[in-house]
Amino acid sequence: MKNNLLPLGTRDEFGSRASIKQNIVAVIQRHFEARGFSRISTPLLEKEQVFEPYQLGNYQMYRFLDQDGDTLVLRPDLTLPIARFLSSTNIPLPQKFFYIGDIFRISRRLSGSYNESTQAGIELIGYKSIKAELECLMIINQLSDELLDSSVEIELGYADFARGILRLLTDDTQLQEEILQALYDKKIPTYESLISKFSNNELFEFLKRWPRLFGKPDVIFEQLTKFDLPVMIQVKIDALKEIIEWISQTMPEQKVSLDLSSRAPQKYYTGLTFRGFSKDGAGYLFSGGRYDKLLANFQDQTESAIGMGIDIDVIADLALQKKTKKTKTMIYFNNSQWNEAERVLAKIPHSVLSLADTKKQAQLEAEQADAKFLDLTGGNENDIE
Amino acid sequence: MILNENRIKIALTKGRVEKQVVPLLEEAGINCDQIRNKKRRLIFDSTTQPYEFILAKGPDVTTFLERGAADIGIVGSDILTEHQSTQYELLDLDIGKCQFVLASTEAFDPDEPRRKIIGTKYPNITKRYFDKLGQDVEIIKIEGSVELAPLTGLADAIVDITETGTTIRENNLKIYDYLDKVSTRLVVNRMSLKQHPSEIYNFVDNLSAAIQMNNDREIAQ
Repeated sequence: MKNNLLPLGTRDEFGSRASIKQNIVAVIQRHFEARGFSRISTPLLEKEQVFEPYQLGNYQMYRFLDQDGDTLVLRPDLTLPIARFLSSTNIPLPQKFFYIGDIFRISRRLSGSYNESTQAGIELIGYKSIKAELECLMIINQLSDELLDSSVEIELGYADFARGILRLLTDDTQLQEEILQALYDKKIPTYESLISKFSNNELFEFLKRWPRLFGKPDVIFEQLTKFDLPVMIQVKIDALKEIIEWISQTMPEQKVSLDLSSRAPQKYYTGLTFRGFSKDGAGYLFSGGRYDKLLANFQDQTESAIGMGIDIDVIADLALQKKTKKTKTMIYFNNSQWNEAERVLAKIPHSVLSLADTKKQAQLEAEQADAKFLDLTGGNENDIE
Repeated sequence: MILNENRIKIALTKGRVEKQVVPLLEEAGINCDQIRNKKRRLIFDSTTQPYEFILAKGPDVTTFLERGAADIGIVGSDILTEHQSTQYELLDLDIGKCQFVLASTEAFDPDEPRRKIIGTKYPNITKRYFDKLGQDVEIIKIEGSVELAPLTGLADAIVDITETGTTIRENNLKIYDYLDKVSTRLVVNRMSLKQHPSEIYNFVDNLSAAIQMNNDREIAQ
């Protein structure tokens, strides 16, 4: 077998993608440091139990055995390791953390997806106030300006909105679950067949419209006025209205939408959820929300928590798409001209030193790199061997 | 993978699904002349419509959708289930109807207490079916002419789809159980629906109206 082949679902990163990604990471890191967040790094390897609350969907985890026979995994997520860290230390709360690191999720074989990806994110632990959610929305808005030409649309939702309505509809928990899955996955033929049992229920008109209750907030709120929704649901709608009002006051240019029919990013989410996407991206760029029971997996005492993940790879793909080709210049020089070559290198944008020993080699190098050729030697080559 | 901002890319399963869907699309007001006169082409863009069609095999339609290389897919529910599609399923086109069955020779005893060998093109659906029954079976993946498996002794029985049962009967096989029903579905990439809701729902609603009209006509006849 050849020894230079990569494992399935992995890739090397080099050239413009590697530098664009590095630049995105640097911008995000500076942003969080400027906001006074503390950096946290956790190991790539964790015990499998750490991820018990994590829903992997169609993915799998890389698993290993350690010397004691315990199962270790390459982390598929960066939030639960932070919860593990907090429950095992006496760090005083509240705290604002940020992280940047790689996560590993094995996708379907030969599907074209990569199993290793880079995520950045924040965890605001010990904050009960809505201000924690608002700081996350402010960060999405600012990073959208800094990295994505203000193209990000924020989508708001509520983790327990759908379940709340279904509890009012029926006591049959299995049926609740079936309707919920069909709604979240927008399996409309299945969903319509399941809700047909409730054609005499006062919520039936709402149920019929529900899978399409996403999009522009004013349109959604207008549609909601047509249904006589119970008070406990109306309270959540009012809370969303307040946040949308705050966004329009604080960041008037920010595009916002609502989705009252989608699944929370993870099952441990308990409150407001928010995501960010752009018209061109193949996935969500930002994803987060409140999960007040996060630490419950590790300790008895729960803590208020808000978190948000940022998909660096999707942002890098978008940046690459927008990148205009820059003309490189290849500088050929003699060893006696190092200082001059360094001055030219600093002066000309996107220039690079040719390390070839002959003009012919240097010209070939420039040709291969599709670069302009700049000869500083004036025809006197190789003065120092 | 980057999505094209302006056009809705529709991946259509070529072959039988394509033949049944094209008249429905035309009834929904979509010009399909290019697909009807396709020759060997697989991709059809239009200057007059906001849609671009691509023709692909069923399993590849799900891959195009998962990767965001297509916004809408039209494909059988058998393939969606087998490939564990995670995209939105907005419409049942009510065509390409068939059903999964468990079939074998007359001599097969489904209750015989031993680990059975099952031949199929659909290992995931087969495994799910026998898991529900609480039976552990050995599955052999077969790419075509699945009926051969019990006839040649390769497998004890098969799980396959059938429209009328004719092929099964003609090969001297008997149906022992009926599994999930199958029909052609319209599936939408999750992100695309958020990015182009009005364009996609416009397409879905027109097609839905055409299906309804078709069904009403059949009932009237």
